Amino acid sequence: MNFQSVISTLNQFWSNPSELGGANCGCLILQPYDTEKGAGTKSPHTFLRAIGPEPWSVAYVEPCRRPGDGRYGENPNRVQHYYQYQVLIKPSPDNIQDIYLESLKTLGIRPEDHDIRFVEDNWEDAAVGAWGVGWEVWLDGMEVTQFTYFQQCGGLDCRPVSIEITYGLERLTMYLQGVNSIFDIQWNDELTYGDVFLQGEIESSTYNFEASNPELLFTLFKLYEQEAQQLMQKELVLPAYDHVLKCSHTFNLLDARGVISVTERARYIGRVRNLARQVAQLYLKQREAAGFPLLKGKIASIS
Amino acid sequence: MPSFLLEVGTEELPARFVDEALNQWRSRLPKLLTELNLTSEAIEYYGTPRRLAVLIKGLPSQQPDQDEEVKGPPAKTAFKDGQPTKAAEGFAQKQGVSLDALEIRPTEKGDFVFVQKRIKGRAIADLFTEQVPQWITGLDGKRFMRWSDGDLKFSRPIRWLVALIDDEVLPIAIVSHSISYHSSRQSLGHRVLHPNPVSIPNAEAYVSTLASAFVNVDPQQRQTTIESQVRAAAEQVGGIAIVNPDLLREVTNLVEYPSAVVGKFDAEFLEIPSEVVTTEMESHQRYFPVCQKGSKELLPYFITASNGDPKKADIIAAGNERVIRARLSDGKFFFDADRKVPLESYLPKLETVTFQADLGSVRSKVDRIGAIASQLATQLNITGETSTHIQRAALLCKADLVTQMVGEFPELQGVMGEKYARSSGEPEAVAVAISEHYLPKGAGDALPQTIVGQVVGLADRLDTLVGIFGLGLIPSGSSDPFALRRAATAIVNITWAANLNLNLNELLDAIVTTSDQLKLTPEDLLKQLKEFFLQRVETLLREDRTIDYDLVNAVLGENDQAYTERALSNLLDVRDRASFLQTIRNDGRLSAIYETVNRASRLAAQGNLDTQQLDPTAVVRPDLFQKNSEKAFYDALQQLNQTMQGHADYAKLIDALSQSAPTVSRFFDGEDSVLVMDDDPDIKQNRLNLLGILRNHGRVLADFGAIAKQAS
Repeated sequence: MNFQSVISTLNQFWSNPSELGGANCGCLILQPYDTEKGAGTKSPHTFLRAIGPEPWSVAYVEPCRRPGDGRYGENPNRVQHYYQYQVLIKPSPDNIQDIYLESLKTLGIRPEDHDIRFVEDNWEDAAVGAWGVGWEVWLDGMEVTQFTYFQQCGGLDCRPVSIEITYGLERLTMYLQGVNSIFDIQWNDELTYGDVFLQGEIESSTYNFEASNPELLFTLFKLYEQEAQQLMQKELVLPAYDHVLKCSHTFNLLDARGVISVTERARYIGRVRNLARQVAQLYLKQREAAGFPLLKGKIASIS
Repeated sequence: MPSFLLEVGTEELPARFVDEALNQWRSRLPKLLTELNLTSEAIEYYGTPRRLAVLIKGLPSQQPDQDEEVKGPPAKTAFKDGQPTKAAEGFAQKQGVSLDALEIRPTEKGDFVFVQKRIKGRAIADLFTEQVPQWITGLDGKRFMRWSDGDLKFSRPIRWLVALIDDEVLPIAIVSHSISYHSSRQSLGHRVLHPNPVSIPNAEAYVSTLASAFVNVDPQQRQTTIESQVRAAAEQVGGIAIVNPDLLREVTNLVEYPSAVVGKFDAEFLEIPSEVVTTEMESHQRYFPVCQKGSKELLPYFITASNGDPKKADIIAAGNERVIRARLSDGKFFFDADRKVPLESYLPKLETVTFQADLGSVRSKVDRIGAIASQLATQLNITGETSTHIQRAALLCKADLVTQMVGEFPELQGVMGEKYARSSGEPEAVAVAISEHYLPKGAGDALPQTIVGQVVGLADRLDTLVGIFGLGLIPSGSSDPFALRRAATAIVNITWAANLNLNLNELLDAIVTTSDQLKLTPEDLLKQLKEFFLQRVETLLREDRTIDYDLVNAVLGENDQAYTERALSNLLDVRDRASFLQTIRNDGRLSAIYETVNRASRLAAQGNLDTQQLDPTAVVRPDLFQKNSEKAFYDALQQLNQTMQGHADYAKLIDALSQSAPTVSRFFDGEDSVLVMDDDPDIKQNRLNLLGILRNHGRVLADFGAIAKQAS
């Protein structure tokens, strides 16, 4: 199964799992968000929607940028730009693990042929004041998916709780295709992942570690932070959040460049967290003022 | 005799929580049963990643009836002329008995009305329906979570409840918002090997029913199975399994139906240091490594305790082999890349690693370590090649922090430095010191064995202590983010274990003098540092060396500057004095001199004799003696002073003191005794000086005034 089929199969599955043996929790299939971010969780489809009482079911592919993980295309398992397949369902359904196992079947992985385990792995993203508990899913010893029950987001308690499922698309496809390097993944039947992304990986690694201008990045961080603050004063939630994401990515670039000391590091993370917290609160306030439209007649209960 | 089964079905619990939860039940449930007046023949605890269960066998079907005596009003108010009053009627009514049932009994406060009541025991079904939900919700653990829209908190979501009394379902319920679990006899078997629900016919059939659904519910049995299978699997490939007990415990709670699966990897990966390969296998993959028989050399195999179908072992092994290959390729990639350049060439990159904001980079720390190490070498009279090695090891000791391997596996710091030093052609002593300087990593860990490793390790810790203290970041209570207590403890332990003749006072003085980032005055900083070290010495003597509390005080002095200075300027001596005191306490030599020396010490404290003065002829005037006992005391002190001649031979001192003890006691007691506090100030002074000289000789060993009298 090639990379693009894996994505379309998952889209197909999550848009209506019940058709494929899963439960009735059809997801909205959305497209990637267009601002750089370190994980699918930071997409507003997840980060903001996990907040508040409104139900929400979504699935989407999200590109992730982790500047420090660049290896100039020389490491077969690690890249600074890759894709996650992200599912978020609120409130978390009772049989979510079973539904997930069904999704593996549609990819041709029969759980009964393998050693599948849910191994404790808790998640925390201090930079956006979010944490949750869950597992890594091991398929014959390989971590293919991350499960997280969101407990807090932007410093706010999640009520009800969302379940987030994040598939490592490259890892999963490498397994399905039996290849040992990300760059050998068949994207379609003609072109490989490397054909499309190897050059970019080399250039971006050079940028992240050597060519970026730290002075400029420090300045950008400050500007993005100011912009986020002034946008929040105007209660423009999404534009403000875009700038929080830009702050977060700029911090990651500075970190990869090795110009942030240990104590400064904590301070920068604190600054991003403050912004994220404020956006989260603002978003909740905005949705509440709108009467939590997605509740559709259900009684809002936030405590 | 009914049996009761409770099974709490969950999503996969963290491995550690399974044990923690069962342990909580183990300590609580017997007490809860006792409180309910219930007996049982046996309580069995079961758990897997997906369930926690308890089976209580041989319960009574109900609580025993209980007699209760209720005291009512005084007889005087309850009965007037033999007739019940309103008070009696009210009491009888409240207790639900007829007036006939009231009895009058004498008490210390006169006659009172009593009623004897029989309380019917409740059926266990009744009690358990009410109580069992709290057995579940009362469990504690780290990082509990909420799920769906409920307010329940548990380690992972609860999914089903089984509760049976013999073959009857006991109704229990846990409800919160739309979450609602009601007990039944339906359990779930193995997630993929038995996808359909399994019905448990009666409580005692629990273990066998689940076994038929591919779940071994007994953790102890699973652990035994895993261990024996893993060992047998290693045998099959001609090796011996390395079974880390913590890993075994964890793996036991990651699987419900264990079977050992062996996989192999390319032997070329064994060129990677075995520490790396082992870390990959144990910490990242939860595999058991395999080593050769009769040696520690790894073999290119691993064993995993699979939770899958044993018939699919080949597929499972192949999948795991791919994973370990990718991980080991990573490791090999790092190992090869790191060794392309000599270790020394990583030094400039250490400038980008911050040690602490105000104390600069790790690169500048390395320079400070070098400077301190050279002071240490001077104190220890180390010269020549060893001294060169110390400087080189100090320079390179942190270089591996910026290698890719240590970036990936921080726990291999030092270990990789040693390997890379060797492959860079550094002297063996330097290579070994790079890994040794991190020792001990915690309480009870091994200590550095080479002098180079010892000196660099001491220098690194001294730099950290002075640097962080200098910023005023002094540990308080449980807050010790830089692990300074551990660092100071390590310094004392290394010094003691290697018998290093260090003068910590001089060292601290010298380091503080060259520090430029001080937020404290040098005097205050030194005072705080020395106090901190003294506390470590005190704790180590008491806790690690089990020296009695008062004896530790006696060698460290209680608020006695002289002893403080002395302890830190000679750590070996303070250790030796403390152990010696303990030895002579244990063998009785201490009690032979205790009375006289302690008494002399306490009385001498009222005089003002210099504590350094040991010569009686310099401060005592024989012309003022009034009694023979004074002269005898004086002679004994002269004898003592000549015997010791300023040498600190503690055994000899104790011997000499015990010889003089009878003489001294005649000074205190009996017909020839004197009153020290004579009205004539000269005589008084003279007698205090006699005592003072004796005290001072005792002080060479310890402050006898601080030693407590022990019942013999």
